[in-house]
Amino acid sequence: MDIPRGNIIVMDRRRGKLRVGQGLIQGLKVVWDHWAGSFHKNENFSQIHGTFTVEYPDERLPLPQTYRNMPVLLYDDESGHELCTGCYQCQRICPPQVIHITQAKDPVTGKMVPAATEFIIEYDACMSCGFCAEVCPFDSIKMDHVYELSTADRVSLTMRKAQLNRPISYYASIAPDLWAEVQAGAMKKLQGSIKRRPDVIGLAAVLTEKIKARRLELAAAAAAAPAAAAPAPAAPAAPAAKLTPEEKAAKLAAMKATNANKGVAAPPAKAPVELSPADAKAAKLAAIKAANAAKQAGAAAPPAEVPAELPPTDAKAAKLAAIKAANAAKKAAEQGNSE
Amino acid sequence: MQDVVNQVINTTFGWNWPSWAIALIGYLIVAVILFAIAPFQMLFLTLYERRAIARMQDRVGPNRVGPEGIFQPLADGVKIFTKEDIVPDAADHWVHFIAPCVVVAPTMFMFVVLPWGPGMVPVDLNIGLLFFFAISSVSAVGLLMAGWASSNKFALIGAMRAVAQMVSYEIPAVISLLALVLITGSLSIVDMISYQGGLFISSRDVASVPDWGLGWFIFTPVGFLAFVAFFIAALAEGERTPFDIPEADSEIVAGYMTEYSGMKFGLFYLAQYVLNFLLCAITSVIFFGGWQGPGVGWLYAQAITPVNPQGGWVFNVLAGVLGVVYFLSKTYFFFFVMVWIRGAFARLRIDQLMDFGWKFLIPLTLVNVISAAVWVALTKWGAADGLAFVEGWSPLVRWAVAFVVTLAMNLGAYLYLARIFAHSQAERERLDDEVLESLINVV
Ligand code: SF4
Ligand code: SF4
Repeated sequence: MDIPRGNIIVMDRRRGKLRVGQGLIQGLKVVWDHWAGSFHKNENFSQIHGTFTVEYPDERLPLPQTYRNMPVLLYDDESGHELCTGCYQCQRICPPQVIHITQAKDPVTGKMVPAATEFIIEYDACMSCGFCAEVCPFDSIKMDHVYELSTADRVSLTMRKAQLNRPISYYASIAPDLWAEVQAGAMKKLQGSIKRRPDVIGLAAVLTEKIKARRLELAAAAAAAPAAAAPAPAAPAAPAAKLTPEEKAAKLAAMKATNANKGVAAPPAKAPVELSPADAKAAKLAAIKAANAAKQAGAAAPPAEVPAELPPTDAKAAKLAAIKAANAAKKAAEQGNSE
Repeated sequence: MQDVVNQVINTTFGWNWPSWAIALIGYLIVAVILFAIAPFQMLFLTLYERRAIARMQDRVGPNRVGPEGIFQPLADGVKIFTKEDIVPDAADHWVHFIAPCVVVAPTMFMFVVLPWGPGMVPVDLNIGLLFFFAISSVSAVGLLMAGWASSNKFALIGAMRAVAQMVSYEIPAVISLLALVLITGSLSIVDMISYQGGLFISSRDVASVPDWGLGWFIFTPVGFLAFVAFFIAALAEGERTPFDIPEADSEIVAGYMTEYSGMKFGLFYLAQYVLNFLLCAITSVIFFGGWQGPGVGWLYAQAITPVNPQGGWVFNVLAGVLGVVYFLSKTYFFFFVMVWIRGAFARLRIDQLMDFGWKFLIPLTLVNVISAAVWVALTKWGAADGLAFVEGWSPLVRWAVAFVVTLAMNLGAYLYLARIFAHSQAERERLDDEVLESLINVV
């Protein structure tokens, strides 16, 4: 984007020696030229004659990509995930303090999740400075090009997240170059965030189908939960001096799983009693494997054997698996109860 | 109009109404027509001015209400009617209330003597021109009332300026018309129009000239100078730029209109635009032949007139329509010129205005009256008046000699006065600078 500058326009001022009354006539001539020239449009600013008016509601000037009016929040078209992680950077920098964010929390663990459950911008007080878009490390908040925002009252200018959500494709259409610059980084960061988002947290609320699909997927995973819950009862049995959050989660999942098992009257899985608290992670992993196996084999499949000597892997993954198992168990329990 | 009413009531219906009833009905109809036409002229002119000045400024102007914005004036009218009418506490309420009426009424009166087409004049007064200008000065009283009653300094300054300007520009306007009155020998506006038949040369000056309706006064040196002086004076009377000093919005808010709102303000506006229309109309009537134009005279000769009762009524209509078209197109052209001047020139200072009026325009028009006298002598006088030597010349030669002589007189007077005027202005500026210098250098 380069804006051509330095065009020098030489104007014919019709200078010269004037006799009495000639100056007046020359003035009239200038105005006449403008009048006569005004019946065609002035397309290009190197001319001094012609109508400049853009008849606004009917015609509009193309806006430059860098034009900024009001901030909006982007979400990914394919996954439906919002780019925003609720990091509060924009809220902090906003000079008139018109951004209000609620950080998403994991419903199970109560821990922060990189997403925002609510995101409010008071458009009426926003001064379109663009600081929020400038500071956002996740390229989530961007300046929109829409300028027809008048409303009958002030309150309807308080924009909630659902009103702020725009697909990335929209932003890429209004500012292709600007988006191309940041695309790679933003998408990479988004993948990272998605990994850490349980349930439907972080999905744009406007995308009801996406959310439904995600819930179905989760429900399918939950169907395998009874099997997955198998190793869980081991956890409470373990003499745990102090429980890490993961262990708590695992315990909780296990409890839920047992409850679910009771509900559906599924045959209890063999529990490896010799599991120590230190091996909790491994147990969780085993649970995941069990769940996956169950999913593949179908709900009626016999529970898989749990290999106790599994190597400890990524704690996060384990935690996620535990949560999933817990959720799935819950689902299963609910289904069981309703039956 | 009365003969038409008489025809309908007494001949067609055979009711045999008395002549006073016929006259009353005839005048009522004419009055109603005029009172309907005047505000519509104003509505049209506001739109016309806004569109024209917009084009001069490379804009489009109001074009949203209706096709090309033709309903914009109506929208403005509705707006101004619904506005609250605010009268300042300190104002003299009655005078404040009456002033707009005093300003509007004369402009309506002036329509009385304005001929629209052949035979289409409400009243053919034999002192029509005098009536026109005498009545137009009455509005100055209304302006002063408005300014005085508002008890607002801007309003009062505006009113003072308006009156000063009107009074001083009435003089050149009337003197420049006086020259033409000398030529036609009549104060009747209808007479002035009928004098302007012919082709570049009036057929009354040279009888052999064919009557194409083009013997306008503008084609004579006397008429041309009178036109220029009159039009400048008309700009000042109509408070048009560059003489919009009484309502100079950048100096004194809106002049005498400052304390008016709602429809009272609207009345001032109405008066102003109607006055502008009338000034343009009278310019076109007196210098450009009014309804005179190719074809009108011939059509009117075939029509039903007191002179020719056997004519066809179709010709009445045709001559009327063509005459009104000529008249209005000339009038609107002059209004365009007013807008054009508004687009081109800046406002004068009040002292420049007075200087220009008294020191330049009035001497120039006085010279023009002398030229007119010479013109009349060369074209009309004979041995009886002591000008025996012109007797032998043919009318065309007499006309040509008169043309050359008056042209030389007017041109010489213009150049001489312009030099004197420029010199006096330069001198004045020099004095101003000196005074300024002495003020600055005070130790
Ligand atoms: S554009 Fe500026 S004022 Fe508006 S929300 Fe962003 S930081 Fe705040
Ligand atoms: S919009 Fe950007 S800066 Fe604001 S909370 Fe979300 S990720 Fe952080």
